[in-house]
Amino acid sequence: MKRQTMYFRMITSSLIRRRSRMLVALLAVAIGATILSGLVTIYYDIPRQMGEEFRSYGANLIFVPGGGDSALNADEVKKATGFIPAEDIVGIAPYRYETVKINEQPFMAAGTDLNEVKKTSPYWFVSGQWPAGSGSVLIGQEVVERIRLSPGDTFTLSGTDIGGKSFSHDFTVSGIVQTGGTEEAFIFMPLSDLEGLMGNSGVLDVVECSISATQQVLNDIAGQVGENVDDVTPRLVKRVTQSEGTVLTKLQALVYLVTVVVLLLTMICVATTMMAVVAERRREIGLKKALGAANKSIIKEFLGEGLLLGGLGGLLGVALGFAFAQTVSINVFARSISFQPLLIPATLIVSVAITGLACLLPVRSATDVDPAIVLRGE
Amino acid sequence: MFWRMVKGAFLRQKGKMLMIAFTIALGASLAAAMLNVMLDVGDKVNQELKTYGANINVLPKGASLLDDLYGVGEGSGVSDQYLKESELGNMKTIFWAHNIVDFTPYLNAKVKLAAQDSEVKLVGTWFSHHLDLPTGESLDTGMESMKSWWDVSGQWLADQDENSAMVGSLVAGRNNIQVGDTITLESGERTKKLTVKGIFNAGSDEDEQIYVPLPTAQELADRAGLVSSVEVSALTTPDNELARRAAQNPNSLSIKEQETWYCTAYVSSICYQIEEVITDAVAKPIRQVAESEGAILEKTQLLMLLITILSLVGSALGISNLVTASVMERSREIGLLKAVGARNSPITWLVLTEILITAVVGGVVGYFAGLGFAQIIGHSVFGSAIDIKPMVIPLVAVLVALVTLAGSIPSIRLLLSLRPAEVLHGR
Amino acid sequence: MNLLELQDISKIYGNVKALQNIDLTVRQGEWLAIMGPSGSGKTTMMNIIGCMDKPSNGAVILDGTNISKESAKSLTGIRRDKIGLIFQQFHLISYLTALENVMVAQYYHSMPDEKEALQALERVGLGDRARHLPSQLSGGEQQRVCIARALINYPMLILADEPTGNLDEANEGIVLDIFKQLHKDGSTIVVVTHDPEVAEEAQRTVVLEHGRIARIVENEK
Repeated sequence: MKRQTMYFRMITSSLIRRRSRMLVALLAVAIGATILSGLVTIYYDIPRQMGEEFRSYGANLIFVPGGGDSALNADEVKKATGFIPAEDIVGIAPYRYETVKINEQPFMAAGTDLNEVKKTSPYWFVSGQWPAGSGSVLIGQEVVERIRLSPGDTFTLSGTDIGGKSFSHDFTVSGIVQTGGTEEAFIFMPLSDLEGLMGNSGVLDVVECSISATQQVLNDIAGQVGENVDDVTPRLVKRVTQSEGTVLTKLQALVYLVTVVVLLLTMICVATTMMAVVAERRREIGLKKALGAANKSIIKEFLGEGLLLGGLGGLLGVALGFAFAQTVSINVFARSISFQPLLIPATLIVSVAITGLACLLPVRSATDVDPAIVLRGE
Repeated sequence: MFWRMVKGAFLRQKGKMLMIAFTIALGASLAAAMLNVMLDVGDKVNQELKTYGANINVLPKGASLLDDLYGVGEGSGVSDQYLKESELGNMKTIFWAHNIVDFTPYLNAKVKLAAQDSEVKLVGTWFSHHLDLPTGESLDTGMESMKSWWDVSGQWLADQDENSAMVGSLVAGRNNIQVGDTITLESGERTKKLTVKGIFNAGSDEDEQIYVPLPTAQELADRAGLVSSVEVSALTTPDNELARRAAQNPNSLSIKEQETWYCTAYVSSICYQIEEVITDAVAKPIRQVAESEGAILEKTQLLMLLITILSLVGSALGISNLVTASVMERSREIGLLKAVGARNSPITWLVLTEILITAVVGGVVGYFAGLGFAQIIGHSVFGSAIDIKPMVIPLVAVLVALVTLAGSIPSIRLLLSLRPAEVLHGR
Repeated sequence: MNLLELQDISKIYGNVKALQNIDLTVRQGEWLAIMGPSGSGKTTMMNIIGCMDKPSNGAVILDGTNISKESAKSLTGIRRDKIGLIFQQFHLISYLTALENVMVAQYYHSMPDEKEALQALERVGLGDRARHLPSQLSGGEQQRVCIARALINYPMLILADEPTGNLDEANEGIVLDIFKQLHKDGSTIVVVTHDPEVAEEAQRTVVLEHGRIARIVENEK
């Protein structure tokens, strides 16, 4: 029989046949590894997850007409939006504003893609329904105060199209929008409806984009659009981008510090438990020394056990930690979390290192023990 | 004799007991730190979210937010409504006065830049204004702290710079205005020469405007003592069902609900209270900010709650694990006690007393260490101290007690079930 | 030929003199018993003979070399190669089978050899219990495993500490029979005991009192 085989047999027997004690140790390592992998996964995913939450502040990049133009060309806008990575787009809402009249009073009508608005401006509070299709509109709270309308009412919109011909069309109010901002003075309708009234299409006043990206990335996108698309001027909505950066940095710092503190304390906890488990075996160490084992081989055996435990516990921890991070993400953000494959080796290495170290400390002091302790009592 | 044995155990196993106490202290400090941070994180993040600026807009009744949309200028009816500057201090007298972090008045006017035909919007405001309140308190507020995202080249104005102005980047670009230039503003027959102290990039419509101290604008627009709107930044509680119903119609609530609503810092109740103290005003929540704040606050709190639970479970398992390990280690001693005729309950009490004394020592040390950790987190992340919540003490105490008991009782039972002879001979 | 010579050995712990001026010679193939009441220095002497401790003064000559000044590390090597230890408490490793417990000694010495270990167990009459864990063995069986382990590396000196202290009469008989067989085969045995019946089986009995050799008794037989 080879020496390695015997070595392996000794450490596996120690783990398998001393089930209850080793379970205690394994549990300790697994808890540590779970906390490590769980928290680190969350830490890495926070900017992404929180970043998406921050999109509830609305658009962070807008396109306005460039140069001397007074309007955006829809084709140019399409070219510009091509520079935004598709997976980062939360919503892109185009707007066209025209003056219209209700009962001879002037109002602003905004033609837009209402489905996109829902995504770019999730903070809109609509009483009633969002318009389902052509012929129904959202009206702002301020409009309501001036002409009494409530959801379900029909009203007549009149005005002059670009050709100078006057038009008049009936619309149904599907909902009333409250934002606390200027939107409350508008009438929102599907872009195609407004284009139908005005008699031309492909013209926009502003395009709001809500993009899930850092300020840096947004700057890059804006730079590219500015360089490559002549008639479109990209502008960052500073209030949103800058503030998001500030708050997100703080949040990440918070989770970072918490992670460090929790990890530190957990690792010490793991180490003390391992130390308790090993310290119990002073007699065994004494016996092995009496049998003529060199300190080196005793250390090697305990280290072997520690590494095996660390590996097993680490594996368990990786799985449990990911499950935990997933639970957190689904509960908090209602999204699944991205898995960091690098975390598997990292967790394994850390848990093996911690257990190894935790085994080594008491074993080292135990090898100083006089082998004579095994001769008589304790 | 019982206490002598307990004392003996401590003296003889000093190292081991120290280690248990140390681990319990670690666990307790983790629990105390995390609970304190978690309970305070809402307030802290709320403060941070103030960088998004105002969440309440106060306007005169009947004024339009779109004062210039149809070319309907001042004096022609709709927007000829103002708030009184002298009443602004009242805002700090409402029930939720302490939640009002900042507020800034604006007076809008149309002016002409000399030698230009087009009109420019002039805004008078407080930049950093010192206000002595009727309550005897004082307050420093103004736009500088509410527009943290503005990118200013040159300098922010101070309130006493009555002959200076800040110019929006788009206005400056169109008219070739540099920092240090002098501009002449005309409004009707009144003119004023102002030095440009700063040019700002706000990334919004504000870039089309010129900002001056409030008295300057009041003089130019001939609106002494008046303001056209006030932006308020307030710490608010995320809306719930009650707040939504109240926002629809405050009268639909029962008296008790109304009281609850009034006494909670919902954005709608703060708006309501502002309307109470300022004549003919409408306070509107700026939903973009108010709503998002609520969402982010909730997410952050939930996130911290779950992380706290994880670390509590972790430290609980860690402690009970160590306690289990250390009790099992004493199989020999327990076997011996049984062999000399001790019955189960005194042995259990003996071991439990020892461990609980250790736990109390560890728990107390840990609690204070935890406060330290919490302050480190508070200072390094938010730059301010974390509020220490007394309710954390019983929570930590219960946690430590439960965990040590949970860790020791099963292992004691296990050891008691062993026959003494087995324990004493060849393990 | 002398296997072991203790020359004017003293051992002092603080101000307690555990052993004083001991002179003793153990011949190759001799069976020696060390007796004495508690506190007479038996354990200290055994530690010194077993290379687990060094004397404060004097020389220990084992197999022709003076080992009294060796480092702890080289003492470990000497212990591994030349001494077989048998304990009152047996000290088997609880998570290893009887066979594996014997193989551990081989492992530290040189190469584990399952066949040889099994033969050693058969010699002490435990061939059929080789795969049992210590907790499944009786005290006598455990002591026999301990003896098998002590013998596996063919030590020059077998050192037994109260080998029958934890055994009933029947098992005591079995263990003593094994010792007799070992003695017949030419092994050198030192037994520390306070049981006169066990001591009588030896050729010579050294009686310790207060750290000194009170008398040496030659047992007839």
